[in-house]
This record gives sequence, C-alpha cells and structure tokens, in this order.
Amino acid sequence: MADDRALIFARLRESLERLDCRTPYPEFAADVATPPARRGNSRALFSQRLRAANTQVVESVSALAGLLEDRGVRCGYCDPVLAPRLSTALGPQIELLPTFDRSRIDDYRFGITRASAGIVETGTLVLKDRDTSDRLGAVAPWIHVACLDPRDLYSTLAEAITELDDDPNVILISGHSQTADVEGIMIHGVHGPGEQVCLFLNQEEDPETRP
Amino acid sequence: MMPPQPVPWGKVLVPNRDPVHGKRVQLMITCLCDAFFDDAAQAALQCLERAGCEVQCPRDQTCCGQAAYTAGDWAAYRQVVRHVARVFDDPAPVVVASGSCAAAMFHEAPMAFENEPDLPVIRALAARTWELSDFLVNGLGLAAWPGRLDARIAIHDSCHTRGTPTIAAVRTLLDGIDGLERIDFPDSELCCGFGGVFSVSHPHVSSQMGRQKIDKVLSESPDYVVSADMSCLMHQQGIAARQGRAYPIRHVAQVLRDAGGLP
Amino acid sequence: MNRQALDAYAQGLDDAVLEAIDVGARSGVDKRLETLTEDYDDPDALRRLAGLLRQHTLDHLDGYLSQVEKRLIENGARVHFAATTDRALEIVLDIVRASGTRVVTKSKSMASEELDLARRLASEGFEPLETDLGEFVVQLDDDHPSHIVKPIIHKTRRDVARSFERNGLGDYNDDPETITRRARAFMRRKFLEARVTITGANFISAQSGRVALVTNEGNARFGLAGADVHIVLAGIEKVIPGDRDLALLLSLLIRSATGQRMTSYVELVAGPRSPTQPSGPREMHVILMDANRSSIVGGDMAPILRCIRCGACMNSCPVYRQSSGHAYRGVYPGPMGAVLGPLLADGGQDQLADLARASTLCGACGDVCPVDIPIPDLIARLRARSVKNQLTEAGHGVPPMGIYSFLARHPRLWRLVMRLGWIIDWIPLRRFPVPTARAWFDSRTLPRWRGGRFRRWFRRTERQRSRG
Repeated sequence: MADDRALIFARLRESLERLDCRTPYPEFAADVATPPARRGNSRALFSQRLRAANTQVVESVSALAGLLEDRGVRCGYCDPVLAPRLSTALGPQIELLPTFDRSRIDDYRFGITRASAGIVETGTLVLKDRDTSDRLGAVAPWIHVACLDPRDLYSTLAEAITELDDDPNVILISGHSQTADVEGIMIHGVHGPGEQVCLFLNQEEDPETRP
Repeated sequence: MMPPQPVPWGKVLVPNRDPVHGKRVQLMITCLCDAFFDDAAQAALQCLERAGCEVQCPRDQTCCGQAAYTAGDWAAYRQVVRHVARVFDDPAPVVVASGSCAAAMFHEAPMAFENEPDLPVIRALAARTWELSDFLVNGLGLAAWPGRLDARIAIHDSCHTRGTPTIAAVRTLLDGIDGLERIDFPDSELCCGFGGVFSVSHPHVSSQMGRQKIDKVLSESPDYVVSADMSCLMHQQGIAARQGRAYPIRHVAQVLRDAGGLP
Repeated sequence: MNRQALDAYAQGLDDAVLEAIDVGARSGVDKRLETLTEDYDDPDALRRLAGLLRQHTLDHLDGYLSQVEKRLIENGARVHFAATTDRALEIVLDIVRASGTRVVTKSKSMASEELDLARRLASEGFEPLETDLGEFVVQLDDDHPSHIVKPIIHKTRRDVARSFERNGLGDYNDDPETITRRARAFMRRKFLEARVTITGANFISAQSGRVALVTNEGNARFGLAGADVHIVLAGIEKVIPGDRDLALLLSLLIRSATGQRMTSYVELVAGPRSPTQPSGPREMHVILMDANRSSIVGGDMAPILRCIRCGACMNSCPVYRQSSGHAYRGVYPGPMGAVLGPLLADGGQDQLADLARASTLCGACGDVCPVDIPIPDLIARLRARSVKNQLTEAGHGVPPMGIYSFLARHPRLWRLVMRLGWIIDWIPLRRFPVPTARAWFDSRTLPRWRGGRFRRWFRRTERQRSRG
C-alpha cells in the first residue's frame, strides 16, 4: 500500500509539472450559492420551509400525541433524555422505548430524537451524532420526530456547514425519504422514514406550560 | 404579438473582435452555398450591399474546413484553414454566410492551432470574422431591417450559433419586417442531428433526430424554415423530401433581401 | 460495411425503452432549468466559479490529497491508496474478510462500478446488496446502470415488477408504491445484517475530512447506522479544498441532478461514530483510488475530472436519448462518459475511442455542466487524438479527408469540381457501394447541384455593381 501511495503522488507531481500556471483558488463569499429569495431567519419562515420540504411541523407535545394517535401508532423509540419530558403529555397509551433493539426493528413505529439545529434556507433539520441518542432510532422507524429548539436556527446552508464543529456524523434532513427511480414517479418512504416530523421544543421550558 | 426571445443558453461565445471601420468587407460564401445554394450567397451579398458595404468576394475561396475538424483529421483541417487565411488575408472584416463556418473560424480553428507557430495569424483572422446577421446588427449597428414580407416563418438556430450574438441578431433583423410572423415550435433548442461528419458516421441516430426535428417544425405549418445555416436546413429538407413532404427552406439573407430593405 | 457501434445499438432499441429514456431525460432537463432560473439571476456565473474551484483543486491535487489523508487519520479513519482498480478491490476484500461479515450493503457509487465491485464480492462468496432502489433492480437483473443518477431510466414499471417476481419479492405488481415498499421491507433486515457498508463519496473536504453522501432514499444513512465498518471508495478527484466549498458544490450538484434544492439526506461523515453513539461504524476506511486519474491531471483533458456526477449532460444530450446509456459500453455514459470512459479504462482510449464520434458537438452538455467543463471541445480533442493515433476501428463511417482537403487547397480544381459536379444528379448514388453516399442517401435526398452558378453571377454582375 505504501507503494501505491508513493506511486500515486509521484505520478501526480509528474503530471502537474506540465502546467505552466496552476488555477488559483477563486475568491467568493461563502454564501454565494444562497438564492436571494431564500435568505431570512425567522421561526415562521423556517416552519414554512419545513412544510414545503415535506416535513410536518408540530408545535407542542400534545399536538404530537394527536398526530401519533391519528396514525394509530402506540409504540416507538424515544431518546431517554427526552422521554421524561414527553411521556406525561403523550399519555399512557403511547409506549416510549429507551433503547433500540435490532431484533425488534419493526416494533418501533416511530423514533423521537434530538435535532441539533435547523436551516431556514432549505427547511432542513441538522442531526449530529453526539446529540442523537441512537442513529437507528432516527432512521429505521416509519415516522421520525426530530425535537428542535426553535432558537437553534441557521439562516443558510453555507452558514450551517461552515459553522459545524467536529461532530463525526452530521445528517442534513430535508423531508421524508423518497425515490423517483421507477418511471420518474415520486414515491415517499423508501429506506429512511416515510414521515418526517419536527417538534419544536425549547430546551429549558416545560413543554406543558408553553402558551 | 412577438413570440418570446429564446432562453439564453449557458455559454456565451463572444469572440474578441476588432471594431469595424469603414464599409469594405470580404464575403465567404461557404462550400454548401457554392455547391447548392447560390441564391442564398447572392442574397448575402445583396444584403451587405444594401447596407452600404463594398463587398469583395475572393475567387480563391473554397471551404472553411470544418468537415475535416468534425472528422478529427486536424492535420487536414489546419491545411484548409491556412488556405482560408491566405485567401482572406486582407484586413477587412470577413463576413460569413453561415453560423457554423463563422463559429468554426473563431472557436474551432484557434483550438486546432493551439500548438502551431502560426496561431497568431489564425487568431487575427478570428478577430475579424463575423457571421452575416451578427455583422449587420453588431458590426454595422443596424437596429432594424425595414421591409415587408407576408409569411409565417420558423427559425432554426444551428447548434454552432449557441451562445453567439447571431441568435439575437437574426431576430432583431427579422422582427423589423412587416407581415412576418415568427412561430414557435417544440424543442427548438434540440439538435437536428446533422453534426457534419456525424450525419454519415451515425446515419440512424442522425436521421432519427432529423425526423423528430422536422415533425416538430412542420407541426406549426410555417411557410418557410429560416436559418443562418444552410447545412442544418439541407439535412432537414433532405429527410423531409425522402418522406415526400414539402420543407421550404430559406437563408436569413434571402428573407431580408426579399423583404426589400434599406434604400 | 462496418458500422459505428453506438449507431447500430441505437437502431436496435425498443420504442418503449426510447420513450422511457426520453421522459426521464426531459424531466431532468426541465426541473434543473426551473430551479436554477427561479433561484439565481445568473446561474452561469455560479458554474463558472465552481469550474474554477474544481480546476484549482485538480491543479493542486497532490497537496489536497496529502491534507485530506492527514485529516482523516486525525479523525480516526484509516486511509488507503489504490493505484489501480485491482488494488482497490484487494483492499476492499481484505477489509470485508477481516470483519467476518457475509452480507455487505452498498450505496450507489460509480467508482465501485469501475471495479465491478458487487459482482466481484459475490464471486468471492459474499452477499453484496445494492441498496439504492434503481441499483437494486439493476442487480436483480444482472444488468448495468444506464445513467449515473437514474440507473433504471431505461426500464418501465412492468420491467421492475417482473424482476421482483422473478427474485421472490412477491407476485407481479407494477404499482410503483408497492414496488418501493417491497424494497424497503426487504432491505431493512439487510442493513442490520451487514457488518460492512460500502459507499462512494460525492465530495471529500480536505479541511475537515468530511465525506459528503447525497441521497434521497436514506439507504446510505441506514447502511451506516446498521454497520460496524464503513468503507468509502472514491476517485482521487473527489477531494475539494474545504467545507465552505461544500455549500457551493452541493447547491449546484443537487439542482443540476434532480432539480431539487436539497436532497432528503446529505450525510457528512468525518470519522467513525462518536463514543456515546450506540449505532454506526466503529471503523471507517477511506480508499482513495487513482486508476488512471493521475495521468489526466495537468493535461489538456484535465477539465473532465471536475465532473461532480450530476447527470445533467446526459439528460440534455440528444444522442444519449436516442441510444441510451448502455450504448456507451463503459461505466460512464453520455457526454461525460464519452470523455472520461476512454481516459480511465485501461487500454480504453483504443477500445472506447469511437465514443468521441457519437456526438454532433451540439454543445447542450457544455451549456448545462455545473462545473463548466467544455465537454464538446474535449470530445473533439479525443476525436482528433484517435485519428492521430490511427485508431481505425473508431473511424467507421467517417469519410477520409485527403481528397477533400486537397481540393479545398487548390481553388482552380475546386472551381472545376463545382462546375462539373452536376453529374451527381445523374448518378444513382444510393446504389453506389460508397459507404458515405449510402449513409446519406438511405434516409435523405440532396438538393440539386448548382455549383458554379454563384461565381458566374458574381463575375457577370461585378462590373455593374462596382459602377453603381
């Protein structure tokens, strides 16, 4: 392998020697590709963009309870840090399991995990590895509920990406999973969740007492 | 009501050209007009004269060479282009009755001469080469071509003129003519399949593309199919004729001349 | 008469296939344009910028590769260099064997097609699974993808339904939603069973080591979440300078490929899972593959390595639409494939040299490329190379230029030919065994010969015009 490395670099240097001049790094603002019409930073705008990107916006835990009831689901995975805050409002009929057991993969009809941030430009949820209690809990169930503090918003994709820390696995989620591989017809719910939900949850507040 | 201007395509191939002084020009009639479309060449000359130009037409001109370029035989191509450079070495602008031949001179020729010692000669030639409509509008500064011709026309833009000023210039000239109705047809930006040597190296795909093109053009029942390039029109008309269908073609210059024009 | 392979292939295509490709390609073209013009006043300025950025990276590739290697190792990943596709395959096999897994999940990666990776893994006794739905169908059919973004653009729902039935995935059902749900149900278990997952890389940031994986399906996400070992297989040209460049390139890639603003998932993988994360790879391997790329860098064909695999060029290509991706025979179809294919394949410049002829040089591809690659110019150069290297196989159907160029340099002879050319109106050229003539006249007529007439008119009227 060391031979391969040496060989590749030797070939590259030889090839690059042919160049009279090498293209310099072009100057550009980091947000050069942000569409002018998609700037802005407000929760209302973010909610609008989430919906446009096929993500359902849920403003309170009781509303989440309603949604789950509507789907007829009773059992799912939940980040154990979030569970105490949610279980009362969700009610006893909804079972929140704190670990993801691979052998029971299809028992989890939903997964509730934390989102670290949102991106207003694109209606995107940012999941970081360190803030996600279990990656499988976020990707395997049909419904994924990402809990986001609505104050943690980036205005643009450029901003979000350039301000990332060193988290080893950042997932930018913009809606439910989908494919148009069969005759170009868009079908949602392939390997990732078929329903993507965003629940706004302030970090300090008790969700029950939010006006 | 005028049909909308075409969406500007991606690349803009505006050659760096010398400004035009005076009215003396050299006309390149192109090999296809030499062989098949003498009236188009005539009309090109007449339009230039009507616009006040003194038109030279060097006798020793033959062909721009792009057949050899598309064949990949760049050694042969360079030989032909050197002949063109010799024949047109007068410093007056070279006005070409074909968008593809003009584009070949200012885009393809410099590429093929990249490593040649006479690249500066070719660059200088490119800097004074103009497609006809482009020359009338942007070289001479004509804002319109007044005249009258009652006809429905479909404009075919050759792929070679993609990104060049010719596309807008053709429309500027034709829009000034009373009675002329420009019609749109589907997929106008899609290649008709001629492609020079491609038309004979890939006859099936070439004629499939051509058949689809003429179907779309004819679906709008134009009186004439007009282009700055007779090569594409020759291919399209040839396909239509094989199907027993009428496909009346005109060079832009023929329409301008027939419409009357400047005093 | 020897024929151009692509032309012959195109002629044999089913109408249903042509229809499917046409619909798929058009939708790609329309969506791309719609999003770009809605979002940007000057999309071309952006792609010129992206082109410069990519070219800069290629012109300094040795430095950026060295930087990305260092960063990935700091992040806890293992970095491997593979000079050839064979070496890359060896490395993959070593890692897969060491993991003890039998099942291997795989996300879409054109680089992996260069190794024919899934087939090779299968022949070594492993169970490789293509997890992208289109690639999954291709695998079921023992077929090859015909488009780099839409692998089954050439198939109808009926084709897919039959494949599923043949492979025990249920009774015949051609409803796209049913097909998709079946794939979901099948693949879930495999994501958990596979200890190794293999992906490509859309981009690798030299600054942070982040490997960007762009999908809509979530297959890469699930593959990583379920596995212990993650193998990234990437050509060395996938490196980009830094994270700030990611935002620009992602914005252009996604809009150009599908007309979306963002795909459902963009996963930025910088290293193995964090210590508190129960799911996900504990081991990450990045294989940086050369496979002839280092010889293209720094040369006149280098711009093709800017390619970010968006597929816009093949969507816009009228020749691709008439012949389909398989007509290009290699891993990469369409305009970018006609250039990259011959350059990458070992001995490929000879075997795939005819691909450079399969183009009218119409320029549609150059117009849509998000990194401003002058594709038509590169195609023309390759064409000239094959003539210079006397690759006669590539030149079927191309008339020799000797006589033509001789005439074009000898005006008196030229004028003579113009005067005498009327003779072709009287010869039944269609019956002549001259391949060029047959190729034209089979489907077209020629106008009447009128050589010499303009010149005579000009001489006759010269005096009048100079007087008047």
